Amino acid sequence: MKKSRIFALCFLVVCLFSTAAVFADEVKLTIWGRDIPDDSADHAYVRALINGFQAKNPDIKVDYIALGDPGLADKTKITMASGSGLPEIFQTWGGSVMGGYADAGMLLDLTNELKGIPGSDAARQAMTWKGKIYGVAPFFAVAGIFVNEGIFKANNLKVPTTIEEFDKVCDTLKAKGIQPFACGEKDKWPALALYMYLTNRYGGEASAKAAARQIPYDSDAFVKAAQLYQSWIKKGYFGSTPLGEGYGDAQQLMATGKAAMHITGSWMCAQYANSEFTDQTIGFYAFPAFKSGGVGSVTDIMGQTDIGFAATKVAASKKDAVVKFLKYAMSAEACEAEPGRICSVPGVKAKSKLTAQAAAVFGTAKTVTFWWDQDLPPSVTSPLNDMLQTFFLQGTDVKKSLSSFEALCVENIGPVKK
Amino acid sequence: MNVFKRKAVLRTEPAKRKKKDPGRKVFVFLCVLPAILFLAVFLYYPIEETFRLSTMKTTGLSNEVFVGTDNYEKLFRDEEFLAGLRHVFSWAFWSIIIQLPLSFFIAFSLTYYSNKLTKPLQAIFYLPNVLPSAITAMLGKFVFAPNYGLIVSLGKALGWKWLASIDFLGNPDLAFWSVFAVATWAYSGFYVIYLMSRIEQIPKDLREAAELDGASMWCYARKIVLPELNYPLRILAILCTVGSLKLFDLPNMMTMGGPGNATVTLGITLYRHGFINWNYGKAAAIGVVIFVLSLVFTILQFSLGRKEDETI
Amino acid sequence: MKIRKINPAGQREPPAERPIKRRATKIHYGMSEIVITIVLVILALVIIIPLVVPLLFSFKTQLEFAYHPWALPKAIRWTNFIEAWKAVRIDQGLLNTLVVCFGSIICTIPPAILAGYVFARYKSRVTEILFYAILIGYFVPVQMVLVPLYRMEVSLKMNDTLYGLFLPMAAFGIPFWTLIFRSFFKSIPREMAESASIDGAGHWRTFFSIMLPLARPATVLAIIQVFMGAWNDYLLSLILLSDQNKFTMQLRVASFLNSYGTDRMPRYAAAVIISALPTLILYLIGHRWIIKGMLSGAIKE
Repeated sequence: MKKSRIFALCFLVVCLFSTAAVFADEVKLTIWGRDIPDDSADHAYVRALINGFQAKNPDIKVDYIALGDPGLADKTKITMASGSGLPEIFQTWGGSVMGGYADAGMLLDLTNELKGIPGSDAARQAMTWKGKIYGVAPFFAVAGIFVNEGIFKANNLKVPTTIEEFDKVCDTLKAKGIQPFACGEKDKWPALALYMYLTNRYGGEASAKAAARQIPYDSDAFVKAAQLYQSWIKKGYFGSTPLGEGYGDAQQLMATGKAAMHITGSWMCAQYANSEFTDQTIGFYAFPAFKSGGVGSVTDIMGQTDIGFAATKVAASKKDAVVKFLKYAMSAEACEAEPGRICSVPGVKAKSKLTAQAAAVFGTAKTVTFWWDQDLPPSVTSPLNDMLQTFFLQGTDVKKSLSSFEALCVENIGPVKK
Repeated sequence: MNVFKRKAVLRTEPAKRKKKDPGRKVFVFLCVLPAILFLAVFLYYPIEETFRLSTMKTTGLSNEVFVGTDNYEKLFRDEEFLAGLRHVFSWAFWSIIIQLPLSFFIAFSLTYYSNKLTKPLQAIFYLPNVLPSAITAMLGKFVFAPNYGLIVSLGKALGWKWLASIDFLGNPDLAFWSVFAVATWAYSGFYVIYLMSRIEQIPKDLREAAELDGASMWCYARKIVLPELNYPLRILAILCTVGSLKLFDLPNMMTMGGPGNATVTLGITLYRHGFINWNYGKAAAIGVVIFVLSLVFTILQFSLGRKEDETI
Repeated sequence: MKIRKINPAGQREPPAERPIKRRATKIHYGMSEIVITIVLVILALVIIIPLVVPLLFSFKTQLEFAYHPWALPKAIRWTNFIEAWKAVRIDQGLLNTLVVCFGSIICTIPPAILAGYVFARYKSRVTEILFYAILIGYFVPVQMVLVPLYRMEVSLKMNDTLYGLFLPMAAFGIPFWTLIFRSFFKSIPREMAESASIDGAGHWRTFFSIMLPLARPATVLAIIQVFMGAWNDYLLSLILLSDQNKFTMQLRVASFLNSYGTDRMPRYAAAVIISALPTLILYLIGHRWIIKGMLSGAIKE
């Protein structure tokens, strides 16, 4: 009697250990992302990625944690600063922020593993820092003009093909009581898309030169662009309350046909093509160049990573699983689910006409400039956006604003090299 | 007259000090120990770390380089920080001038006129206090937003153009007050309940006696309740001041400190330097400034009018 | 050994006081009472109206909201609630939230009461210094200490545990509540304690049998506030918890809200309602008791 009991006990212990061993065999990947994988159209890719990868790799346990917008950035920053509690993979927009983590030695160099994955150059470059690849960017967003086609048609307007034409178009729209541009400048960063384009159209490579400290930020192209921007604001092209509206409010203005144009990133394609979100017909166009007097051309495109994933140093022991995940993130299978973003993976077709338009704009790109607030060091990016907001305030001397931003850059990046 | 005399007697009765009492020290020690332990384990090290980092140049990730008082010197040349400092002081000033009297009015009226209508209201005034600040900020945005905000929509519905065209959050002169109004809505509930509980502590017979003497409500409020609440009101003034110095959630979520620097607070500059600009040393310096100012103002407020305080 | 209300002599309250009290509360309605009641009702409406707003939005479709934010919903649709409900997963978050709430109440309030009492009653140079040593905890902005706190928790192996969340929460709460309790105990007439000690009660007896019951209003207020604070906490939980099984409800709600943002208001509003509902229900059930508890401090003379 007693013996059998001991046997049973031993058996139980063995069983427990073996199940524990089975669990130990299972590789666990913790992934920090922004969006929850639910049924919403703009969360479709994340859902397909997580569910698809889990279904295909039952031996890897994926623990995907959605942290939301400031949450993802804050938590990543703090765990990186402490060097502990890191996830294996985190969602990132690449650029200087990812670079800061790489410099601190917190990321895993996957250059050899990832360089062979087919994808667009711009996307790969965004996830590269100092010659090393740390992750993948399955989607890339370009900035352009979202245009309410219905409004333009009803008013016999054509989408401007030169910057000079904007004045006429905007004046006509204003006379009809329609706000020409939606912006949402309460959130500070939305103004950047247009400003980047205007600077490029005036000064070509000005922003790259300024970032490399060859020219100052208060040089000609920047000032002229700011002055034109300010003159448009003064004419009321951004409505009467641009500073009170957030980015979400700007989307509502577009969705309900109260505004005719929205200059922003192509990540809005999913929403603007979604009949539940808007009942307007919206198109996407490249930002035009000056008819005369400008340097930049229509094929100079502003863009940035739309969704990207990078691996941290704790992934070193699980390299195979991590690479498998990153490769799956770049697979046509996962990317097919995305309705609105421009996919970096060759062979994945755009799901809507709007996305196709955006992808076509991306296809014409001769140069791609990364969004400044992704590319510049973090120490000057939020001051940059703060400065843009001051353009909207009455009585701002844009030259002065740019000069004080330049002073900040001298302090944080370095003086202009002669 | 009778009332005031009696109160005076109550106050000035000599407080006899204990002679040698060995249990006293043990009691004091054991009572303070748990609180000190909690702080020692969880807060003293971070506080020390804040002071140390405020003399360093670091992104939080990179190596720390000692820079002495450089971070502080830079702060006092920083537009945003100076704007934050100004706003924090005006925020504290106006909370003491507006929120506290309003709360006192509500608290006093609710306790003085306790009738069928006012009784259920007690619960309502405390209600916003149970909401997380993210939701408070969201509700605030819906009241003050342009185009579709509650007030603007009301203006449209009534045909008042002046009201419909106000940009509460985008106008630098109004943004501060819009955020302040939301804060008043959200935070006053606590002050009301706190003051109510303190008013209830006032002996009931003082009121009865006052009524027998024919004192009006205002007279009772001014001559009896207000002096009794001197100390609690000073506590609330401290809460307002320190709360303003640390203020972050509401202005950050409603306006991100904008437009321009119109609603920047020290809490926002600290967050921005630490988390977005990756200038951790400067953020620590702001933390120290908040800390030192809080300490100075608290000591000041405690020592103001200390005399009455001590007789209790 | 529970004495509710005590008069200065330390004896039970004589029952004869009752009729006087009743007479005092029954005053005829005067002009000023009517005016002030109306003002209070208006103020209460100002409080209530913004709270009803999400309810109005949550049943609408996105487009319906975009065009007519303030109109009544055309139909009652539950889709937004269902999606929000799925994402919030109340079944998983609720238990964690409750653990954090109760843990933080238990760790915050007793130390604060004890310390507050000593600082109110035992004034000396040493207690004065100790008082400020505790109070400085109230002066630190939370954002500042996140990194060192996280580092420390990692080295103590406390990160990613529920107690690793509510213990620092308590450390943040204790200074504030010490201040509040100190002010409460200060307002209790000194004669009460003195008469007790004349009766031979020691420090502990005086505290537990006389002072503690008198602090009930402040204690109830503290319980509610600490509970709500822990319930609504976002930043500390976000940083200190990583395992989804330990997520609190607020973390789930926040990640849902942040994934949508205000550009998808109906869904956002539905999530807001779901997240606020438990506290509101608790409050509605308990408010009588809460208010009564908070206002029961009348010291009879």
